[in-house]
Amino acid sequence: MIYPLIGLIIGLFIGFISPISIPVKYSSYMSIAILAALDSVFGGIRAIYENNFDVNIFITGFFANTLMAGFLTYFGDRLGIPIYLAAIFAFGVRIFQNLAIIRRGIIKHIFPKKDQK
Amino acid sequence: MNDKNKAGLSIALVCLVLGMMLVAQFRTTQISGSAYTSHQRAQEIAQELKNITDERDMLKKEVLNLRLRIDEYENSASKISSLTEAMQKELEKTRMMAGLTAGEGPGVVITLDDSNVPKQPGEDPNLYLIHDEDILRVINELFAAGAEAVSVNDLRIVATSEVRCVGPTIIVNSIRLAPPFTIKAVGDPDVLEASLKMRGGIIEYLEVYNIQVSIKKQDKIQMPAYTRPIQLNYLKPTKAGENQ
Repeated sequence: MIYPLIGLIIGLFIGFISPISIPVKYSSYMSIAILAALDSVFGGIRAIYENNFDVNIFITGFFANTLMAGFLTYFGDRLGIPIYLAAIFAFGVRIFQNLAIIRRGIIKHIFPKKDQK
Repeated sequence: MNDKNKAGLSIALVCLVLGMMLVAQFRTTQISGSAYTSHQRAQEIAQELKNITDERDMLKKEVLNLRLRIDEYENSASKISSLTEAMQKELEKTRMMAGLTAGEGPGVVITLDDSNVPKQPGEDPNLYLIHDEDILRVINELFAAGAEAVSVNDLRIVATSEVRCVGPTIIVNSIRLAPPFTIKAVGDPDVLEASLKMRGGIIEYLEVYNIQVSIKKQDKIQMPAYTRPIQLNYLKPTKAGENQ
C-alpha cells in the first residue's frame, strides 16, 4: 500500500514545481473533481482489500466520476441550483463508507487471531 | 502478486493526478483568499465608517471656515498698500492654477458609464467596467489639449490628485466614486472635443468595450475648488539659482 502514497507525494511535488493554477472561475469545478478523485482512490483501495480490483473499472470510474461531477457543477450553475451538492453528498458518504471497509480490512490484516476467535 | 502491483500502480497514478489537482486548487484559493467576513465584523466596520465620515464632515466645515478667514485677512491686507494688492492678484492667479479657487468657463462635460451590453457568461466583466486607467487617460488627453482645469465628479484634479481603483470603486482626491463619472474640463470646447474624438483616441478605445461615453460642449462650466486640506510635510522651496 505504499504506491498510492508515493504517487500522491510525486503529484504534490510536480504541482509545487510546475506553475499550474486554475482560474478562480473554475475553482468550484476543481474542488468537485478533487472530491471525485478522492472517492475513486478510496474505492480502489477498498477493492484491493476485497480482492476484486479491476484496473479498467477503476480507471473508467475515476474519469466518469470526475467528469460527471464537473458536468453537474456546470449544469447547476446554468440552472441556478447547486446540484454539485448532490455530488458532494454522494462522494462524501461513499468516502466514509469505503474508509470504514478499508479500516476493517486493515484491522483484519493486523490482528488476524482476534478475528478468528 | 502481479495483479496487486498493477492495482497499486494504477491507484498511484490517480493519486499523482489528485496531488497535482490539490496543489493547483490550493494555489487558487490562496490567490483569491476566503471571501468570508463575519457579520459582526461588517457591522463594526460600518460603525467605524460612520464615525469617520462624521469626523470628516466636521473637518471639512472647519477647512471652509479657515479658508474664509484667510480670505478676510488677505482682503484687509490688500487694502493697506498697492504692493500687497499686486501680491494679492498674483496670489489669486496662482491659486487659480493650483485649483484652490472655484471658477467657471467654457469647456466640455464628458460622462462615462459602465457598459450596458448584457455580459456573455464566461466573459471577463472587468473589460466592461471603467477603470482608473480609462479616467486617467481622459484626464491626460484633456490636459494635453490645453484644458485649464479638470474635475471628476466635481472633485478638482490638482497636482497631487490621485486616480486609483479600489475594489469596484475609484478613488479621486481620497474620495470614493462610483460610475457614472462626469469629467468636466475648462478650455477651448472644440479643441477638447476634437482631442477626445481623435481617430485611435480615447473615445474609440472605450467604445470597443461598449463603455457609454457622451461629450457635451458647454459655454459655462462651474469648476469646483479643491476642498481637501493641503499639507506639505516634506517639500521645501528652494530659491531660484540656489540649487542648480
